[in-house]
Parts: sequence; structure tokens; C-alpha cells
Amino acid sequence: MGLLSIIRKIKKKEKEMRILMVGLDNSGKTTIVLKINGEDTSVISPTLGFNIKTIKYQKYSLNIWDVGGQKTIRSYWRNYFEQTDGLVWVVDSSDVRRLDDCRLELENLLKEERLAGASLLVFANKQDIQGALKPEDIVKVLNLDSMDKTRHWQIAGCSAYTGEGLLEGFDWLVQDIASRIYVLD
Amino acid sequence: MEGEDGSESQQSRHPAGTLDPATQKRHAAMIDRLANLHQSRLQQSAARSASSAASPAFESVAAFLTRFDESGRAVEAEIKRCRDLSVDPASAPSLKPELEKVAASIADLDRLVAENSYFLPTYEVRSSLKAISVLKEALDAANSELLPRKKFSFRNKTSKKDPICLVKEIEEEKGPSSDKRVLAAVRDSPGFRNKEGSILIKHFRVSEEEEGDFTLSGLNCCEIYLKGRLRALFIHRLTNCRVYAGPVLGSILIEEVNDCLLMLASHQIRIHHATATDFYLQVRSRPIIEDCSAVRFAPYRLFYEGIDTELRDCGLGEETRNWANVDDFKWLRAVQSPNWSLIPDEELLGTVNVSDVKEQCEDK
Ligand SMILES: Nc1nc2c(ncn2[C@@H]2O[C@H](COP(=O)(O)OP(=O)(O)OP(=O)(O)O)[C@@H](O)[C@H]2O)c(=O)[nH]1
Ligand SMILES: [Mg+2]
Repeated sequence: MGLLSIIRKIKKKEKEMRILMVGLDNSGKTTIVLKINGEDTSVISPTLGFNIKTIKYQKYSLNIWDVGGQKTIRSYWRNYFEQTDGLVWVVDSSDVRRLDDCRLELENLLKEERLAGASLLVFANKQDIQGALKPEDIVKVLNLDSMDKTRHWQIAGCSAYTGEGLLEGFDWLVQDIASRIYVLD
Repeated sequence: MEGEDGSESQQSRHPAGTLDPATQKRHAAMIDRLANLHQSRLQQSAARSASSAASPAFESVAAFLTRFDESGRAVEAEIKRCRDLSVDPASAPSLKPELEKVAASIADLDRLVAENSYFLPTYEVRSSLKAISVLKEALDAANSELLPRKKFSFRNKTSKKDPICLVKEIEEEKGPSSDKRVLAAVRDSPGFRNKEGSILIKHFRVSEEEEGDFTLSGLNCCEIYLKGRLRALFIHRLTNCRVYAGPVLGSILIEEVNDCLLMLASHQIRIHHATATDFYLQVRSRPIIEDCSAVRFAPYRLFYEGIDTELRDCGLGEETRNWANVDDFKWLRAVQSPNWSLIPDEELLGTVNVSDVKEQCEDK
């Protein structure tokens, strides 16, 4: 049996949500994913390509794509846009100098037609660091209030280091996607 | 394989009848445990093959590459078939589902790479991603040539503003108050900035909850000593500087340094746009460089009173030798990147003892 016929047998499972995690390098995407999955976060290398994790969350199965954010590989992001239900944009709230970069990359991403229907969760990560910008500040700097009114979005302060705020963020995202996609059950 | 499934067949292989009762009991218990373990492994592998039959872990680069090549060629053939199909108007309705199948096959190729990337060398990961990227472009091209143009969605119309206007609007909407707050925050974040020819010393003596970040930025011909623990360190625009820093619990981000010597310890170290700089590192994961040239690496050799405990508390007590495992994001090939090298033994610095360096001699 060839690979393609095997592939076709695997139907998109019910209650599956596809989540794309992006953001500048060093923002904490991989740490967040491992943390919510209860895995060891003590040795994490910068992501060279991407990682996929399937995580059971409430009654849903989250298919999380964690894509590397180094400049060289940002051009690959667009390879992962297809069928994205939820977009998680991770910000290093202590990296004030690169917030401009961060805003521009996010703006570019949101122009993407294939992501038009995706719910957007912005994680203001690294809140455990003294002097990190607060979620309200991140909203201002990234200009989130002036986003297209049709976009469902939410900001959540978090620390992948302590785990604080992660579940609240994902709760919102999963509920928001569910209310759009699985509204009939 | 199938024959080993049941626990009975396993038990019958053991001459249990010849042992004393206590040993027999332990024996039976052990066999039970093994049977359970075996059963749960079987279940796991069944679950695994049901959920990810498309992407088995080959754990062998050659096997992966063979499979990847086959699948990649199959996708190419499918795209070609779609193009052939489109010549015949009668098959037009089946064209869209066919193209969607191709998209699914490409997504599975993505997954194949992702799930095997933990054992694949950097070069194979990157070149596989490139190959997938090419296939996606071919599919995009086929989609736009073969399918009737999609109707634009409502949202698309609203966002089709002139991008230049959009930027202007955003700048106007950003009130002066918000700008100031952000700028204030920039200034507030602790650091040494815009200095020339100074000796800069900072000793962090804070409890774990209060650990913060620190920034070194715009420094020229300076010597910088950072003692104590930090949670994050940002280094930006340094020329002709020497930096000696204690352990950083999170990560260090370095951009635009040139003609410097940096001695650093951290969980992660990312280096962008560095030239002619020596790095003496203790690092838990692999350091990465991007857009760098003539950067060299060696092991961390810093000493001051208490540094060993600090390193241990930060999980940096062990020598990982990762200072030598540099990943160059700008170098696609399997052969050694020309952008970095190891510092040869005869040029290595000995241990740098900074015990006598005290904060009050700042700006000497
Ligand atoms: N203090 C602190 N450090 C964090 C937090 N989250 C992540 N980090 C650290 O930030 C660094 C980067 O984390 P990663 O998860 O590798 O970042 P990433 O976004 O996946 O980076 P790329 O894979 O390069 O795109 C690591 O050293 C983490 O330990 C946090 O909430 N607080
Ligand atoms: Mg990562």
C-alpha cells in the first residue's frame, strides 16, 4: 500500500482543532507548548523547523504547530497557514527593543487571506520577568485595538516559566473556536 | 510477532513447575507484569499506527529520505495528473477534490518531517522543508491556473486598503500618550546604554522572585562585568567590548556585536549579525547564529565568589559541551559552516577571575 493511500485513510478526526503558534524567535512558543503538555522545559533549543503536538484539551484534540521564529525561517510560516482554526501570537514582553519588529510581523500575518477566519490569541509571555511590559501595554504597542473588527481576538498575560496564564489563554481560544466551528452540537 | 501476544504462550515457555512456591509466585507476578507491559505497548503502538500511519518514526536518516523522496515524487505526479485532467472539460468537477487531496498529501509530508525532525540532521530538516515549499508553490500555481477564480470574501474587501494608508492610520491612532508610556518603559528597563571607554560593573543581589532582565546596548570600547543571576539578558550594538557575565536562567539575545569578547552562561543563546567576536559559553541547548561571520567559540571560564552555586541553581552546573555545537541558520549544508569556528587551544583565555571587581569603581 502506497503512502498516499495510507494518508487518505486518516480522516480528519472529529473535534480536532488546528492551532498555529508563531511569533518572533525567543518569544517562548516551544516552552509554552511543552509546558501545557506537562513536559520538561529545562532544555529547549531554538526551533529549526517546526514541532507538532497533539494535545487533548477538554473534549477537543488540539493539533498544535509550533513554528520556528528565527528570521531566516519566517518565510516558511506561510507553509502552515492552511486550515488554521486558531492563531497564537507569542510576544516576549521583556524584549522591548524588538516590539516594532513584532508588530510588523503580526500585521503581515493578519493580512493573510488564509488566516482570515482564525481566532487570534496574543500571549504577552514572560510576565515573571521584572520590568516586562503588561498585557495592556502590549495591546497598545501592537495596536491590537485597531484590528479588523471581524477578527476574534484576546490578549493574555502569561509566563511559560511558571505556567501562569497559559490555561486561561487556551481556554478562551478553544471556546472561541468551538463556538464558531462546533456550534451545532 | 502475533504469536507472542497472549500471556499464556509466554507462561508455557517457563518451566515454572520445577521451582519452589515462593519463587513460583514471584515468577508469576513478574510474568504478569511483563504481559501487562507488553499489552500496553501493543495498544500504544496500535494507537500510534492508527493516529500517525502517515509518519512513522524511521530513526534512520536513509529510511526517512527514501520515504520522503517517494512521497514527494508521488505528490509531483499527482499535480501533473491534475494538470492532465484539466485538459478534459468533462473531468472539471473532480479537479477541485483532486487538488485538495494533493494539499492533504503535502500537509502529511510536513508532518513526516516534523515527527522525524528530532533525529534528522539540521541539513536534512532544512532541505526537506525546502522541497515541501517547492511542492506547495507548484500546487498553488496549479490551483490558480486550473480552478476558476475564487470569490473574494467580505473580509478580504475590507482589508484591501492601500497598505501605505494603513500604516499612516495606525500611526495616527497611536496617541502620544501610549507612545510615551512605551518609551518610558524602554528607558526604565535596567541596563548600560550608550557609553564609550568605560568599565561598567553590576552586581545583582536579588532573590529569585525579583530576578529581572538587563540590557547592554550601544556600547563602544567598554569592559562590562555582570555578577549574580539574571533571568534574561539582551545585548545590542557592541563594538570592541569585553563582557563577563554570571548565569542567566532564561535566554540571551545578542544582535550586532563586532570585535568583542563575550563570556556568558545561559539556557539559550541566540546570536544575530555578529562579526569577529569570540564567545566563551556555557549553554544548555545548542547556541545558534544567524547572519554572522568570523565568530569563534570556546568554553566558559569565569570565576568569582559563589559563581559555582549560582550556576548550579540555574541548571548550568554541568558541562554540556554545547558551546561547540553551534547551529548556523544561514548555512544550509551538511558541511561545516564557514561563518564560525572553535578558538584554537593556543589562543584560549585562561580562567578569568573577577572576584576583585567591585561596583564602586564604575566609570573609572
Ligand atoms: N523568564 C522567562 N523565560 C521564558 C519564558 N518563556 C520562555 N522563556 C525562555 O525564553 C527562551 C526562548 O524560549 P523558546 O520556547 O525556545 O522560544 P521560541 O519562541 O520557541 O523560539 P524559536 O523556536 O526560535 O522561534 C528560553 O530560554 C526559555 O527558557 C517565560 O515565561 N519566562
Ligand atoms: Mg521554538
